Amino acid sequence: MSRIEDIGIFNAMREEGLAKVLPAMPRIAVGMGTCGRGNGAEGVYQALSHAIDRDGLDIRLAAVGCFGACSEEPLVSVWLPGQPLVILRRVQASDVERILNDLSRGRITPDLAWCKIEEWDHITAHLRYGQGFPELPLWSELPFFSGQKKIVLRNCGLIAPDDIDEYIAVGGYQALYKVLIDGKPESVIEQIKASKLRGRGGAGYATGIKWEFLAKAKDDRKYIICNADEGDPGAYMNRNEIESDPHGLLEGMIIGGYVTGASQGIVYVRAEYPLAVHHLARAIDQAREYGILGANILGRPFHFDIEMVEGAGAFVCGEETALIASLEGFSGRPRPRPPYPAQKGLQGKPTNINNVETWYNIAPIVLKGPAWFTEIGSTKSAGTKVFSLVGKVQNTGLVEMPLGTPLTKFVYDIGGGAAAGRTVKAVQTGGPSGGCIPHEMFDTAVDYETLAQLGSIMGSGGMVVMDEDNCMVDIARYFIEFTHSESCGKCVPCRVGLDQALEILNGFTKGTGTAAQLTLLNELGRMIRDTSLCGLGQTAPNPVLTTMRHFRHEFDDHIIAKRCRAGVCHSLALSPCENSCPLHMNIPRFLDLLKEGRADDAFEAVFLDNPLPASTGRVCQHPCDDRCRRQTVDSPVNMREVHRFIADAVLLTDRFEPLAARIAARKKAPTGKSVAVVGAGPAGLTAAFYLALVGHDVTVFENKAEAGGMLRYAIPEYRLPKRVLAQEVELIRRLGVKFQFGAGVGSAITLNELDEGFDAVFLAIGTWKESWVNLPGTELKGVLPALPFLESVATGTNPALGRKMTVIGGGNAAVDSARTAVRMGVDATIVYRRERKDMPAIKEEVDAAEQEGVKFLFLAAPHRIVGDARGNVRALEIAKTRLGQYDSSGRRKPVVTAEIVRLDCDAVVLAVGETVDLDFARASGLTLREAGTFVVDRFTLETSRPNFFAGGDAISGASNVSNAMGFGKKAARKIDERLMGAKRFAGLAGGFQYSMEPPETTSTSPRHRSAELKPAVRVAGEDEVMVGLTDAEAGDESCRCLRCDIRG
Amino acid sequence: MNHPEPSLRNPSARTGETAAAGNPPDAAKYAFINEVIARVDGRPGALLGILEAVQERNPRKYLCADELSYIAAKTNIPLSQIFSVVTFYALFNREPQGDHTICICRGTACHTRGSRTLLESLRLELGMEEAPGQAGADKLTLTTPDGKFTIRTVACFGQCALAPVVELDHRICGHMNERALAREVDALGQERHE
Amino acid sequence: MAQKKISIRIDGELVPALEGKTILEVARGAGRRIPSLCHMDGLKDVGACRLCIVALNGGRLVPACTTPVQEGLAVTTNSPEIAAYRRMIVELLLVERNHVCSVCVSNGHCELQSLATSLGVTSVRFRYRYPSLPLDLSQERFVLDHNRCILCSRCIRVCAEVEGAHVWDMMGRGIHSRVISELDQPWGEASTCTNCGKCVQACPTGAMAEKGWAVEEMVKRTAQVAGAAVRKGVSL
Repeated sequence: MSRIEDIGIFNAMREEGLAKVLPAMPRIAVGMGTCGRGNGAEGVYQALSHAIDRDGLDIRLAAVGCFGACSEEPLVSVWLPGQPLVILRRVQASDVERILNDLSRGRITPDLAWCKIEEWDHITAHLRYGQGFPELPLWSELPFFSGQKKIVLRNCGLIAPDDIDEYIAVGGYQALYKVLIDGKPESVIEQIKASKLRGRGGAGYATGIKWEFLAKAKDDRKYIICNADEGDPGAYMNRNEIESDPHGLLEGMIIGGYVTGASQGIVYVRAEYPLAVHHLARAIDQAREYGILGANILGRPFHFDIEMVEGAGAFVCGEETALIASLEGFSGRPRPRPPYPAQKGLQGKPTNINNVETWYNIAPIVLKGPAWFTEIGSTKSAGTKVFSLVGKVQNTGLVEMPLGTPLTKFVYDIGGGAAAGRTVKAVQTGGPSGGCIPHEMFDTAVDYETLAQLGSIMGSGGMVVMDEDNCMVDIARYFIEFTHSESCGKCVPCRVGLDQALEILNGFTKGTGTAAQLTLLNELGRMIRDTSLCGLGQTAPNPVLTTMRHFRHEFDDHIIAKRCRAGVCHSLALSPCENSCPLHMNIPRFLDLLKEGRADDAFEAVFLDNPLPASTGRVCQHPCDDRCRRQTVDSPVNMREVHRFIADAVLLTDRFEPLAARIAARKKAPTGKSVAVVGAGPAGLTAAFYLALVGHDVTVFENKAEAGGMLRYAIPEYRLPKRVLAQEVELIRRLGVKFQFGAGVGSAITLNELDEGFDAVFLAIGTWKESWVNLPGTELKGVLPALPFLESVATGTNPALGRKMTVIGGGNAAVDSARTAVRMGVDATIVYRRERKDMPAIKEEVDAAEQEGVKFLFLAAPHRIVGDARGNVRALEIAKTRLGQYDSSGRRKPVVTAEIVRLDCDAVVLAVGETVDLDFARASGLTLREAGTFVVDRFTLETSRPNFFAGGDAISGASNVSNAMGFGKKAARKIDERLMGAKRFAGLAGGFQYSMEPPETTSTSPRHRSAELKPAVRVAGEDEVMVGLTDAEAGDESCRCLRCDIRG
Repeated sequence: MNHPEPSLRNPSARTGETAAAGNPPDAAKYAFINEVIARVDGRPGALLGILEAVQERNPRKYLCADELSYIAAKTNIPLSQIFSVVTFYALFNREPQGDHTICICRGTACHTRGSRTLLESLRLELGMEEAPGQAGADKLTLTTPDGKFTIRTVACFGQCALAPVVELDHRICGHMNERALAREVDALGQERHE
Repeated sequence: MAQKKISIRIDGELVPALEGKTILEVARGAGRRIPSLCHMDGLKDVGACRLCIVALNGGRLVPACTTPVQEGLAVTTNSPEIAAYRRMIVELLLVERNHVCSVCVSNGHCELQSLATSLGVTSVRFRYRYPSLPLDLSQERFVLDHNRCILCSRCIRVCAEVEGAHVWDMMGRGIHSRVISELDQPWGEASTCTNCGKCVQACPTGAMAEKGWAVEEMVKRTAQVAGAAVRKGVSL
């Protein structure tokens, strides 16, 4: 290999390189970045290499960098001359024989093929691979790549990073050659200034202006430094850039050196990136060999060399003055500015420091001109930025987007949103210097100014997506812990201030925080921000200040209610399942009691935690399943069905009497206080139980004839037999709770009368009004709201439905209505505007409905109901929908299309949601929200009227049984605290001795599920579908628990 | 507090401490240090480069007092400045490292996917207490008393897409959970350290 | 090179200044009081304690000790915000280590103590850390008590810049930073120490003291050492 001295040699080199990138034989390239290697790319490469050698195949095998789609690694690209480059994903070594076999027949292995590239714009060159494979999508058609503009990443994953020839083949070092031939450094600086390129390291200072400072500084020695000490947790673009395209960095730096008059370049790279270090060292050697570094570069009178220094692990060295101190042999403590590095930098010499990514933009701007660059991105922030999109999104990886792209695009379109069943809550940008942006603000354009306005920064481009399993207090604590441990210790605000901030945040996560500390933390944060010596300290409070601003309610939860909804702060929860349970049942306890064979104790423990254990054991949405750590082994413990088993074994047998007596014996001495509970639904019954248990005189007012609310009147017999509920209500009655049925508050008795007659009132009136939709034809006969329909069936009067019925909606009421109709011999179809996975109904119920013959029509919105001359329903016309943009719930909005479909039917059930009885609510005189729900103090459940508390659906809007009961339990506690002036609930359900030793072994059995009746039997009657766990199944299920409540 | 012996001016006379730890003879070591210093002295980042190379050559991957004294004498860098540098950067060790190093990433993506739980469970599994002064701190380097395992944390490996990430003897393992980690550590424990 | 004469505004008043001087030098020369701890005449300023923060042109806060004056600059040396920040910084210093004045040799002669008094810090809102820190009595004439150290680094700088010995440096980082001699060995065993005592005189608190004094008795000759340092700086 000879030195490049003139254009002739340069062009010859380029031809040589092209013969490697587009050889006359097939080329297979394995993505061997660190991500690829972490997923097994080395094994794939070795298997390919072995097979090619073994069979003497004419195939060129290459190891390239990373194409950015980290969640699809290992990626392998396959090229047949004249054909498009095809990218295979998730390739394993075992796939290699198939790939080669297919390739020998001119085919691409179909199950691995992901996309194709017909031509590629390397910016510095344009490569045409070929056309073909019509069945494969173009890379740019895939959601993950949609809208991406690869300038910085122009070569990544396509050329071999350890071969300078391939870089030259795609136009590498042409910009340098041009600059050297032109010999006008000032005009290059003008170009960079005109391009509006800003530093990509975080602060966003104009690169051209920085260069001008250095160019104007007079000294015999000047330095330029590339800051590759990428230490932001959550950001790894610089690693990938250097690993995949080291020459791109060198070219930018050499141009920078030439135009600023520097003679020495230094790359300060993290030692934690061994592959990047290796590739960069090799690239420097090759460049020297080719005469691109050293004396007389490219045959011109310009001398410049680059050295690499490995940083030894200090985040603060990202700060330019600390980096310089580090290079000078001192610990990396920042120094005050001024003097700025451009005046006095390394060894006192003028110095310019730019981030890795900034350097990659130089060659493209030189070749394409500043106007090309400013056309990309937003007005103030030109060009693109590489982001590492990670965390709770489905597609993770490196994404290069024009600046100014809204966050929604990143999170939903590219990232594919949260995993199934989860919703995205926030995005953290800018790492420890940045902040958390809540999902309500996802329209935010990602550029320097907009993010700064929200208290965050763009930083180096980390973008970590958080969902509801992430606790924002913990996130704030995490980042302070990070900056605390990375603080150099030089200045007092950062050194001691962060220590105190961490102390306060630790207290919050442990439940010992106070409101005064929250105020102090805010003041402390501002002090650290305004007075710290360097950027680390000045930005370190951002994560705290932004989370306090945008997620104040989570701080309040931790400080006031001592609760962490995400279940991250372990000190505030017994176990993940307990924390997720609206009733906070001590689940590990009843599982262990059952495991120990103590069925009576188990029942007592369950009932004291949850006074409707058999009902909830059937109909609960079981959020505990999603949190159970047994999932990491196989599937979650079936906690719901175990407590149903425990409850059934008592409530429906002759053990009822003795156990009812045991629970009644726990009743505390009478307090002399009386409480009225309005509504005998789940919230009211629960509150009544606990209030009676602690000795209050409780009367429940209910306008219907029986207790149970939705459990009694909306949930069908086949899901919850009425006799089960009746036994639970009976047990509550045994505690002395009095019921007044047919006593509608507002009609039979007024609120003022309640106020006079009782010491406290709990309003749990539920949501009994079916929402009406504005739909032509709702006046027709045969149009029924779901609740009245279900209620009439539950009270024994079956309405006439004809032969065919359609149900509009996707919640439990819709599914219950359809399944009830099927049992009446009616053909039922559920029409829902989104997809099946979006249905709010319990998944098991949807599956059961399908087995029973219920039909579903998804992506369908009601258009109008068609009637006949006599005013009877004849059909429902629906408009097909397609999924559009993501809404704030993280689901894609259904967009109505022009396609109308007619469904003939005799009845239409509207199950589009329930609301509070507005007439009652308005008449109450209490403060209401727009939807009619009562406004209450989030932590005490007090309404605007003294002594009146409210809970359940009446404050939350239509929710579910367990949530309502959670409110009932909390209301009882708060009412008792108010009446008695003491916290008397601690230990109320205590007194059980059970094993607190970690289990030696757990059952290896998969999750037990209750047996169910065959669909044919089910639809013939009203028998309960789920027969419940057997003795043996329940016992074994309890042995599957990992006992998260026991901690080291 | 681990106070090294005071008379450090003539390190070549000292043999006890390092020979017992199984290091190669001092002469070879000092020749190596001389060579490294000759290669990088006077260049930017020289001290970091020297310390990195010397630590890497040590079979127990740490920097001991006589090495530091020797480097100070050879480079004319004050002893206290060298000690300041060694204790400032996370990469440098002042204590011998275990046969196997398990490095848990504490980057944001890993944190949001449960890396702290991994760290806690591993610490329990290997029977390690939090070192004094490290209570509550996430940055730690702990070695088991038998010298078999060292647990470290790293700010971020830059492997965020594989979160949570653990590095076992320089091998990156992605998408870790407690069980998988326990299995991997067991397997490492079975391996004989050569 | 003759320094250019310029003028700046300090708290609204025009003050003459020489270009290249820091705000702190100019302000103190004009009789203004700006609190500081890590600054000592004759030593290179490091901007570590942040007590000398002043507002530039009514906005950004900068340390007066390291910010050079410029023509037309308007400096505000105090404001409710600045005063609150300074108090908070002193609070943080007080909780960081074990500053128990009643048993300290420097009681009554301590820069931290007098700052707390002048800034009106009468109680602290933060948790005391009560770190467990060693006391180094190995030196024959002097004592090093880490419990009283505020990490201002004046000892480190006076030793390196004036005495030329560089016995001291800072080990560790963040809240775990600590002043060390040589390889963190006892002071008495530090072979590079010349026994000159400049570090002791430079120390603003009771962290470094001469042996033999009882509570309240240690009076530092800081000005004397600073004077020597300035003279050395001028002669260079």
